[in-house]
Amino acid sequence: MEEYSADTSKRPEPEVLSPTSALNSQLLPIAAVLLAVLLVAVFALLVRKKSSKRGDAVILAGCSDAGKTAILTTLAYQQTLPTHASMQTNAALVALPSSRKTLRVVDVPGHPRIRDQFQEHLPQAKALAFVVDASTVSRNGAAVAEHLHMIMHALTSLPPSRSTPSLLIVAHKCDLLKGTANASAEQLAINRVRTILERELEKRRSTHANGVAVEGLGAEDAESEIGGLECTGNGEFKFAEWEGGEVAFIGTSVSVGKAAQVVTEKHSEKDGLSSLREWLEELA
Amino acid sequence: MLDHCSISHKGGVVLWSRSFTPAASHTAASSASPVNSLVREALIEGRSSDGKYEKDGYAVKWTFVNDLELIFVVAYQRILQLTYVEDLLNALKTLFIKLFQPFLTTFVASLHVTTTVKLSASADTHSSWNFAKAFDGWDAVFDKLLRGLEDKAAQERRTRSGHVIRPMVEVTPPEEDINIVPSQSSDNVLDEEQIARNVQALKNRLRGRGGPPGRRGRGRADVGNGRDSLPGSDSETPSKSKRKAKAQRKWGDEAPTESDMASLDFSYDSSTSDSHIAPPVDLSALVDNGSLGTRTQDGLYEVRDWEFAQSQGGKSADDVIAEVLKKSGQEPPKPSSGSLGALGSIFARLTGSKVLTEEDLKPVLEAMKQHLMKKNVAKEISDKICEDVGQSLVGKKVGGFQTTNSAVRQALANSITRILTPKTSTDLLLSIRTKLSAPVAASQQRQPYSITFVGVNGVGKSTNLSKVCFWLIQNGFRVLIAACDTFRSGAVEQLRVHVRNLGMLGVDGATNSKGRVELYERGYGKDAAGIAKEAISYARDNDFDVVLIDTAGRMQDNEPLMRALAKLVATNNPDKIIFVGEALVGNEAVDQLTKFDRALRDFSAASGGQERGIDGMLVTKWDTVDDKVGAALSMTYVTGQPIIFVGCGQTYTDLRQLRVGNVVQAILSD
Repeated sequence: MEEYSADTSKRPEPEVLSPTSALNSQLLPIAAVLLAVLLVAVFALLVRKKSSKRGDAVILAGCSDAGKTAILTTLAYQQTLPTHASMQTNAALVALPSSRKTLRVVDVPGHPRIRDQFQEHLPQAKALAFVVDASTVSRNGAAVAEHLHMIMHALTSLPPSRSTPSLLIVAHKCDLLKGTANASAEQLAINRVRTILERELEKRRSTHANGVAVEGLGAEDAESEIGGLECTGNGEFKFAEWEGGEVAFIGTSVSVGKAAQVVTEKHSEKDGLSSLREWLEELA
Repeated sequence: MLDHCSISHKGGVVLWSRSFTPAASHTAASSASPVNSLVREALIEGRSSDGKYEKDGYAVKWTFVNDLELIFVVAYQRILQLTYVEDLLNALKTLFIKLFQPFLTTFVASLHVTTTVKLSASADTHSSWNFAKAFDGWDAVFDKLLRGLEDKAAQERRTRSGHVIRPMVEVTPPEEDINIVPSQSSDNVLDEEQIARNVQALKNRLRGRGGPPGRRGRGRADVGNGRDSLPGSDSETPSKSKRKAKAQRKWGDEAPTESDMASLDFSYDSSTSDSHIAPPVDLSALVDNGSLGTRTQDGLYEVRDWEFAQSQGGKSADDVIAEVLKKSGQEPPKPSSGSLGALGSIFARLTGSKVLTEEDLKPVLEAMKQHLMKKNVAKEISDKICEDVGQSLVGKKVGGFQTTNSAVRQALANSITRILTPKTSTDLLLSIRTKLSAPVAASQQRQPYSITFVGVNGVGKSTNLSKVCFWLIQNGFRVLIAACDTFRSGAVEQLRVHVRNLGMLGVDGATNSKGRVELYERGYGKDAAGIAKEAISYARDNDFDVVLIDTAGRMQDNEPLMRALAKLVATNNPDKIIFVGEALVGNEAVDQLTKFDRALRDFSAASGGQERGIDGMLVTKWDTVDDKVGAALSMTYVTGQPIIFVGCGQTYTDLRQLRVGNVVQAILSD
C-alpha cells in the first residue's frame, strides 16, 4: 500500500514502479484464471461426489400387491414385515453374506398412478426385477403385461452408452400354488407366468405394430410409438427371442411374520427367497 | 368399539397394528384391508382432503407425520359415532414419536439409502432390526390410552343426557291445570328458544282445552304425534326418545330453534355489524392499472382496444417502470420486519434442518391456488389440491438450496401428475381387439364393441364421434354409427353427412371406404334405448366391429333425461361410456361430472343392471385454450377416470392423446 501512496507523491520517478505495476498487471489475470479453474474443479468434485456411481442398484418393480415391499424387508432386515400398498419408493441396502458385498435395492410402488417413479432410478440401475403375483396372474394378466411393456420399452430406450440393466421376472407367491409330482410349485409358477405374459405381450405387440395410433399433444416430442417388444425370429413375441437382452425367470415366496433363516456361508438353508439371493450374488 | 388400528410407514411397511375383532384381523391381513384400500384409493389418488374415507361398512380416519413419513390409521364400524377418534389419533401420534424417535429415524434412514456404502459387518445387520422388541411396551401404552379415552367419552355422554332432562321438567306444568300460565324458575335463562317453546306449549294447551274430557285424550294423542317438542305430562320419556329417534321433519308451523335462526341469518357478521365496516377487499387485485382505458375530452371513460399482436408481452415502457417502482416501494417494509427471521431461515435451510410449518406454507399455497384458478382449474378443486399438498408438506424437512416456494411447487407438480396419470389403460385399440378376438360360443355370434358418447348440449359429441370413427376406420375396423339423438333437429342429417364424408376418404390405397362405415337411424322422436339395442343387433348380424352410439345432449340436473340415459346404458351395456366435455368449461365442470356420474350410477343400478359410471373422458375445443388447460385437471379429479382423447379442431384428423407432462407444464407455467 505504501508503494502506491509513494507513487502518487513521487511523480518524477515512474521507472521504479513500472516493473511492479507491470508484474501486477500480468499477475492479476493469471491469478483470476487460476482461481476460476480452482473453483470449477471444486465444484466438479462436489457434483461428482453427489451423483452415485452408475449401475449399482437393483430395482424391484411390479403391479400392486405383487409383494415387492415384503421381498425388500426380507432381504434387508431378515424378517418379513407386514406391509400395505406403498406410497413412495424405498431404497435399502442388502448385504449378501456369501460374497460379502452389499447391493442397493430400490422398491418402486406399483400403483398405476405412481409407478413411473422407476424412471428416476433407471440410470443407476444394474438390474431390474419385475415381481409378478403368480397366484392371480391369470386374472389380471393384461394389467401386468401393460406394466411390463412399459418397463421393457423404457429399457430399450436407454441411450446405448449405458449398459442395459438385466431383466429378471420373479414369479412370487409360489407357496399359494400346489406343486405336482412332476414339477415343483416354483416351476409351475414360472411356466404359468411365462405363458400368460407371452400371450398378452404378443397381443400388445400386434396391436401396436399394425395399428395407426393417435398422435400425442405437442408433436415436438413425437413419442407416440410404444416399441420395446421387438423380437428376432418370425416376430412373434417370446422372451427367449426378445431383442432387449436376456430375461431370467425365478420363483420365490415369503411368509409374513416369520423371521427368515439367515443364510451364511456355512449352512445355506433354503428359504423362499434363496433363488433371488443367488441371482443377486451372480449379479454383484 | 374400534376395529383396527395401525401405524405404518409411507413406503408400505406396517410398524404396528392391532385388530379388535377376529373378522377385522382376517381382513387386515388380506389385500382388502381398510388400510390398504385407504392408501390405494384415497391417499394415492389425492382425494383425501375432506378427512374421511368409508368402505365396506368401515369408516377410516388417519393422520400423517411428515418428517418421519408415518401414517396413523384407525378403522371402525361406520354406523357407530365415535367422538374420541381424532383425539386418539393425535395422542397416538405424539406418544409414539416421543417414545420411539431414535429407532424411527434410523429405520426411515435405512429406507432412503442413496449410495451404496459397505455395511460395516454382517453381524450387526441382523441383530439390530428386531422390530418386535423395539415396540414392546407400546401395546400397554396404547391400551391405557384407549381405555382412558373411552371412559371419558362415556362420562361425557352421561352428563349430557343428565342436562337435557332438567329444562323439560321445569317448563311443563301438569296437563290438567290449563289455567296456569307456564311458570319459569327464576334461574332459567329466558332465551329465544325458551320463549318459542313456551309459546308452543301455551298453544297446545289451549287447543287441548276445547273439547270434552274424552275427546281431550284423543286430542292429546293427535297433538302428541307430530310434534317433537311437545311439553306433555310424560316429560322424561319424550326427551330420551327424542334423542334416540331420528330428527323429525320440520313442517314449518313450529317456532324455529335458535340454531335454525342462526343459520337463516344472512345479514352482515354480527361481530362487525356495530362498526359497519365491510370485509377488507384487496383493491389492487381488482383493477390492473396497466389496462385502464382512456378519458375523452367530454369526460367519458372509454375502454381500451384489444391488441392482437402485442397482447402477450406488449407493455409500454411506462407501465413496466410503474410496476417496478410500485414493487420496490413495497419491498423495504419486509426486510425490516423479519430480517433476523429471514437470515435465520436461510441458515437453517443451508444446514438442512428447516422444517416447514403451516405459517410458512399458507401464503405460498394461497398464491398457488390463485395461479391454478387463473389457469381455469375449478375453485373447489384448486382448494382441495392445495390443501392436500399442504397436508403432505407440514413438518417436512427442506434442505439445501431449496426454498419453500420450490418445495411447494415440486409437491404440487407431483400431485397434479398423480391425478392426471390414468389408473386404467387408455388403449382403446387393445381393448377392442381383445374383445373381438375373445372366443365365442358356437351358437352365438360375436358381439361388437360399443362406445357411448354422453355430455351436455353443444360440447361436440357428434363432431368428435366422427373423428373417432375416422381413426377406427384407419385401423381397419368396420364401424356402425347409431343415431340415438332423436331429439335435436338435424342430428340424424349431420351424422349422415359425416358418414358420407368418411365413406369418400379412402384408407390404405383404397379409393373409398364404402363398406366400412354405415349409419343406423330410425328418424326422430323414438326411444333412444330401443334404437341402440336394434343397432347393436344389426351390427352383430352384419359383422361390424365397433358401434358408436351418439346420444342427445342433456343438462345434468334434468332428472327424466338422466333416467332415460341410464336406461340406455342399462339395456345395452356398452363397453365404454365416454363423457364429452369442453376445455372452456370452468367451475361448471365439477357440477356436470359429479351429477352425470352419480345419476348414471344410481339409475343404472336401480334398473337392474350392474352399476356403470363414466369410463373415460374426451375433452374438446382444446385449441381454443392455449395454456389455460385446468379443465382437464378438474375433470380427472372429479371422476378419477382418464382422459382418453383430446379434440383440437374441426377436421377428422384433429384428435390427439393427452400427454400428462405437457399438461402439468402448461398448468404450472407462468
